[in-house]
Amino acid sequence: MNIGIASYKGSKVIQLSGDIDMYSSPELRTELMGLIKKRISPLYVDFKEVSYIDSSGIATFVEGLKIMKTYDGRLRLFCIPQGIMEIFRFSKLDRVFEIYGSIDDAINS
Amino acid sequence: MKEGNKVSVAVDYLARLEKKVETLKILTEVSPVISSTLDLKELMTIVMEKAKDIMQAEACSILLYNKDTKKLEFEVAISENKSATDILKEKISLDLGQGIAGWVAQNRELLFIKDVRKDKRFYHEADKKTGFTTKSLIAAPLIGRRGLIGVAEIINPGKEEYDLEILKILTKHFAIAIENALYHKDALEKERLKQELEIAATLQKSFLPESPRCKKGNVMVSAVNIPAKLVGGDLYDFTELSGGKLGIFIGDVCGKGISAALYMAKIISDFRYIAHAEDSPEIVMNRLNSLLSKTPRGMFLTAIYMIMDTRNGGAVISVAGHPPFLWITQKGVKVSSLVSGAPLGIIPEDYSSGAISLSKGDRLLLITDGVFEAKNKKGQRIGFSGLLRFVKKNKNDKRLVKKIAEYVNIFSRGAEKADDLTIVEVKYL
Repeated sequence: MNIGIASYKGSKVIQLSGDIDMYSSPELRTELMGLIKKRISPLYVDFKEVSYIDSSGIATFVEGLKIMKTYDGRLRLFCIPQGIMEIFRFSKLDRVFEIYGSIDDAINS
Repeated sequence: MKEGNKVSVAVDYLARLEKKVETLKILTEVSPVISSTLDLKELMTIVMEKAKDIMQAEACSILLYNKDTKKLEFEVAISENKSATDILKEKISLDLGQGIAGWVAQNRELLFIKDVRKDKRFYHEADKKTGFTTKSLIAAPLIGRRGLIGVAEIINPGKEEYDLEILKILTKHFAIAIENALYHKDALEKERLKQELEIAATLQKSFLPESPRCKKGNVMVSAVNIPAKLVGGDLYDFTELSGGKLGIFIGDVCGKGISAALYMAKIISDFRYIAHAEDSPEIVMNRLNSLLSKTPRGMFLTAIYMIMDTRNGGAVISVAGHPPFLWITQKGVKVSSLVSGAPLGIIPEDYSSGAISLSKGDRLLLITDGVFEAKNKKGQRIGFSGLLRFVKKNKNDKRLVKKIAEYVNIFSRGAEKADDLTIVEVKYL
């Protein structure tokens, strides 16, 4: 997994690529928690280059989301590849996360 | 050659020989001590005691390099003043480059400082905190096969002059001995962790039903549970309820290993408590969801809970983000289309339930995603549709559950087992 933080139209975007699994999710957690500590909201996550996410990766986002909800923060995921979207739908995680087709959709919502 | 020169060559030669004898003597003395133990603390203590004696020093210490904190930490300090030793170990650590030990660690060079007051690198805080007075010191880097191990310090040595070459040889031997002891310590720690894991695995199994088979009325339930690691996060349970009913639960905790196993143990005990108090599966799910929402680290659980009437084959089922179950009838294999709520423990949710009615001979297969997400060496997965095809092809096999487990095993042979696998089969006889 590779992780980068970018700015787009004044918003913070976490850009991820590769596999998010039990080996890489601790690094993701550190980055995510760092931004959450600063109470950055909405926080956008670009899934375009993500090839796989396992339950430990999803748990990292769930943890982030739960913390953000305590201060009405918003976590918005976008460009989720079809295979991963199927997992999200299968596990009803599409009821849990705000999911958008593109960054502009996510920002304009 | 003149006579006078001959004499001076002989004197030089004798002096060098004497030095070599002295070196050998020290090495012969120290070598058996160094190789006498693999116990790290004991090794460091006896070597430092020996060094203190040989050097007629007032105190000795070893600082080990902590790769996580990137600091040098006092591991052993030998002096007459016991409280100074405790203070050093508890309160003082040095960055690389800080103090003389930090400089030695950074530059990997042995230093003999005859008057520390004249050396700007000297770290006065240690003396201030311990009340000890350092006048002179020898600090040697301990370098092992994998890099820096730490620094050995000999404080207030008795002589003005030392053969630093001997000290370099000694510290090299010593570094290798410490490294071996560290490896040994790691090996012991790994063995201890392995044993702890084995105990955890036995304990975890004890949370699952005593027998993987259960028969009540006309219903026969059997389960297969294969964790990817020693302990896992999949769970199932059968609970006998009043009125000829049987509660059947399957769940998959996010993550694997010890944390998932502990979470699983909590869930099973919460589930058993709630299942006996409530007779509708959606209420059980609502209560479980509320209890699990307080779990830290974003942990969650996908699950199916069904309450089956063992007298007439009726089942009421509630689903929380769990993969659909398969329903095998005389006509074929159906994928359940019951409405599912979000996984448990994430958001407030009002779970629903659906009812189905089994005919005699029907079977339900409840699975966790480890069954169809199993990966082969090429990174391909069985996939839900692949699993469905396999079940359709083998639906009349009486050993279907075992056959699916074998299929997954063969498919993923040679690839790392990434997920736990659980299959619960419910037969209406």
